[in-house]
Amino acid sequence: MRNRYTWNRRLPYLLLAPSVIVLLALILYPLAFALCNSFWFWNLQMGPAPLYYSGLDNYRLVFQVTPFWVALKNTLLLGFLGTFAQFWFGMGIALLLHTHLRGTGLMRALLIMPTTLAPVVAGFLFRYLLEPKGGLLLWALEGIGFPVPPQGFLGNANTALLSIGAVDTWQWTPFFAIVLYAGLLSINEEVKEAAQVDGASAWRMFWSITLPLLRPIAAFLVMIRFMQLFNSFDLVFVLTSGGPGTASRTLSFNLYREGLVNYNIGLTAAMTWLVVIIVSVIINLYLFFIYRKREW
Amino acid sequence: MQRRHKVIIYALMALVMIFFLGPILWFILLAFRHPSEAYTLPPQLFFEPYLGNFGDTFVDPGNNAPQLVSSVIVSTGATLLSLPFALASAYALSRFAMRGKDFIMNWYISLLIAPPIVFVIPYFILMSRIGWAGSYQAMIVTLQTLAIPFSVWLLKSFMDEVPLDLEEAAWVDGANRIAAFFRIIIPLALPGIIVTSMFTFVFSWNNVIFPLALSKQSTTTLPVGTISFFASSGVYWGHIAATAVVAMLPPMIIFLLLGRYVVRGLTFGAVKG
Amino acid sequence: MSKQGISRRDFLKAGGAAGAALAGATPLGNLARVAAQSDQTINVLTVGDPWDLALRSVTDQFTEATGITVNIETLGYTALQARLINAFLTQSADADVIAVDQMWISQMADNGWIRSLDDFIGMDSDANFDDFLPECLYSLSTWRNQVWTLPIASYAQGIMYRTDLFEAAGIDPLPSSVADAGMWTWEDYFGILEQINGMDLDGTSMYGTTVIGFQPVPVVHMYSQLSASYGTRWFTQFPEAPWDFSPTINSEANVAALHDWKRLYELSPPESINYLWFDAGTRYSQGDIGMFFHWTPYFYLVNNEGYLTGTPSPVVDKTATAVLPTLTAGGDQVVSLGGWSLGMPSTSGNQEAAWQFIKWATGAEAQKAMGEVNVKGHQFADFSRQSNYDDAGLNEIYPFLDTQLEMMKLGDGKVVRPPAPIYTSLEGVYGLQINQAMTGAVSPEQALETTETLFQNILSGNQMIPYGIESFDDTLENTKALQASLSGM
Repeated sequence: MRNRYTWNRRLPYLLLAPSVIVLLALILYPLAFALCNSFWFWNLQMGPAPLYYSGLDNYRLVFQVTPFWVALKNTLLLGFLGTFAQFWFGMGIALLLHTHLRGTGLMRALLIMPTTLAPVVAGFLFRYLLEPKGGLLLWALEGIGFPVPPQGFLGNANTALLSIGAVDTWQWTPFFAIVLYAGLLSINEEVKEAAQVDGASAWRMFWSITLPLLRPIAAFLVMIRFMQLFNSFDLVFVLTSGGPGTASRTLSFNLYREGLVNYNIGLTAAMTWLVVIIVSVIINLYLFFIYRKREW
Repeated sequence: MQRRHKVIIYALMALVMIFFLGPILWFILLAFRHPSEAYTLPPQLFFEPYLGNFGDTFVDPGNNAPQLVSSVIVSTGATLLSLPFALASAYALSRFAMRGKDFIMNWYISLLIAPPIVFVIPYFILMSRIGWAGSYQAMIVTLQTLAIPFSVWLLKSFMDEVPLDLEEAAWVDGANRIAAFFRIIIPLALPGIIVTSMFTFVFSWNNVIFPLALSKQSTTTLPVGTISFFASSGVYWGHIAATAVVAMLPPMIIFLLLGRYVVRGLTFGAVKG
Repeated sequence: MSKQGISRRDFLKAGGAAGAALAGATPLGNLARVAAQSDQTINVLTVGDPWDLALRSVTDQFTEATGITVNIETLGYTALQARLINAFLTQSADADVIAVDQMWISQMADNGWIRSLDDFIGMDSDANFDDFLPECLYSLSTWRNQVWTLPIASYAQGIMYRTDLFEAAGIDPLPSSVADAGMWTWEDYFGILEQINGMDLDGTSMYGTTVIGFQPVPVVHMYSQLSASYGTRWFTQFPEAPWDFSPTINSEANVAALHDWKRLYELSPPESINYLWFDAGTRYSQGDIGMFFHWTPYFYLVNNEGYLTGTPSPVVDKTATAVLPTLTAGGDQVVSLGGWSLGMPSTSGNQEAAWQFIKWATGAEAQKAMGEVNVKGHQFADFSRQSNYDDAGLNEIYPFLDTQLEMMKLGDGKVVRPPAPIYTSLEGVYGLQINQAMTGAVSPEQALETTETLFQNILSGNQMIPYGIESFDDTLENTKALQASLSGM
């Protein structure tokens, strides 16, 4: 009997072990690799192996030769603006769906299509639509008198990053919409009816009842989307490659350039660690302040 | 509801649908346009369809046909490899009270939202060193950093729904936990397992950063294939659109099939939908 | 003496016997001697430039003549680079022949990733090595007094302009030969642009010119021509010995060039800040650009409305080519000379067959055949051999070859974009800063000052300043001497 007891007590850990071990191996290797090599001068264009120990040089060079701060600013801006826009647009559409008029079911099924696209595909799609000579979207916007920058949206330093955010918003607003709609469905009708009896306006009900009840879902959505935007690479790569100038450089794109274009492995390793630290801080802050009460 | 309200809502719904689906339809049309008509303005909705873009990319010379095969191999491989790991973990997290459960769940999700580019460059070197550079297994194994955490989360949410009494009844019959797992949980959670696999497949299919760094020409996947049409001598919009359209079809079809599970899948099981 | 498996003497013997019997029998006669050891297969990695299409169209002729099967795999630029780095990192024989960007020669040669072709060339007189333009060899193929590759496609830069527009504006045709270009300066060039910019031609409002603004690589390709023509050098001393890589990118000449580059951009469509190479060519061929300078392949590419559309462009009979202007009347000129060459990874197990292929593909016969390919228009005139430029048939297809040749002869790929081992990193920051200056985010002075600092950081971080390795006096004269000695002259 005692045997069986310990067996059952250990079983969950035994079951977890394989996935944890595989993931640890897959995660720790790159992190350890990056940590070790961040102190070495290693450029694949100069030779196949690390050339010499360079102390903290790589960390210094991250700030000296790559546009680190601009990229950090852009990355955070993209994350905040994108998440904000997607949440509120998504909420609006969720409320539309919640009217349950005929056709909302079909709409829900089809609406999600942009989210199913690979981000590179979405990038190409909008690169085509925003092409300065012959792009449909640009043509239409010019037609209605929208102030289109002469270089096009992707070529203008003020609009390039916003355009990336807009394309991401196009892609992911449907995701917010259908998830928030599911959230709306789960809100107990009785709570609302009680409030209605109290004479609360629709507007007040939304702010003081619906939104707070959606909070757990919203917190989760915002977290994963913020981080996905933080990691944006595919869209940046296809739409602007970080340009013009550094206007749409993101941290992920910087890593790509140093690692897979310049092949400066040491420098990339140092940059990797800086990004890992930033990401850990963000995720832990989030888990600590907003997310900790969540029960799994 | 008042008639006037209804009209406004339907108008808004129509606008929303045009905004979100119009660009996709326009891009699909591009795939059927002759290259010289890619930029014709004002836009022409009706034109003589041209199949040459698909012909060039998938038939003759058909450089993208092998990429389609690669995409299937990589996505299927990543999905199948993740399943046993994820099933075991999801079962443990669903059925046992244990210390550190929250931590483990949070750890999985932090892997899901960590920047993949951080891992890719070390993998690039590692795969070269162990002779896996450009191989399918390089992509399939490294994609597990996303596939396993995702599948664990989603599968756990499905297993949570299998009633405990059924399993307990099996224990009374003398089956041990493992046997009960295979006899009760797997069959009852099968829809969930299928749904999870389909999502893992889609996420692997749409992933670009791993294949971009870890594949070679003969193993590269379709979404990466679209990028190569940005050559230094010209951009082939027709070819980009043709490959992109083929690349977007499987995820679209899968999402349509998944219907009511879409919400759950996209939120890793956190929102039931 | 010889490093490859087959010894030099054996090789010469085989060559002598079969070669004497067959030489001249077919255009590829000199290749037939390896047919004996047929059913070999070689793998060739190329890049998706126009020459690749032409090469594929004629490769059957090589297989027919030699029995060697050729697998050509075409990749995008970054994919090719990643693939090669990967292969070299693991020392795996991924391919027998590879397309080499001129910028990669130094790192590939210094690391032993590709093998020197000197002994192949030296023992193989039918390579007609002396036929190559020394400027092409110097810019694309030599490093430290050895030949590492042979040029498959050489690009210089030159001017394309609209004859109908010039006529309407009453501007004389531009000089198509250096001999007539005594007074032809960049100031004249800008003067014409200002005159034609905004002009109306048959209902089309014309832009003076177009630039290529996309960062980092495309913008550097175009800007560096202007900048070199203005006298900019990247480093204190390179390629002449002793090498000193202390940057001189922030020179007065370069500041003047960047100011004028901005002027050029103001006379271009605003969206050209996002243009890649082909965007500029396509824009010109669509008909609202008056004049621009670009790589010479665009001399023929602009005849098509878009690459591979096969539709003749509206400018096809209204375009003329001209030589680049100089900074001062009759002053010195440096032309950007770039392109692709074929090299052999040292890991290749088929070196003999690989050499046969390289020799054939870069040879005059195959190059001519590539130039004659007519699939959706003639798409190859990037010759590196004097005899191709002299060929009457090719001159008929490509009437601009004389101009192109003159530009080639002023070409210097080692000065305009110096192939230092970490060129890509330098180009990355340089292109970014030029682009920044174009957006107006920084002034040209600031942009170049930042570039200078970044160059300094990158170069010293990579131990290029001070340069501890032995220098080589890498001059055109030395390449000519090497060419003469390998040609047995």
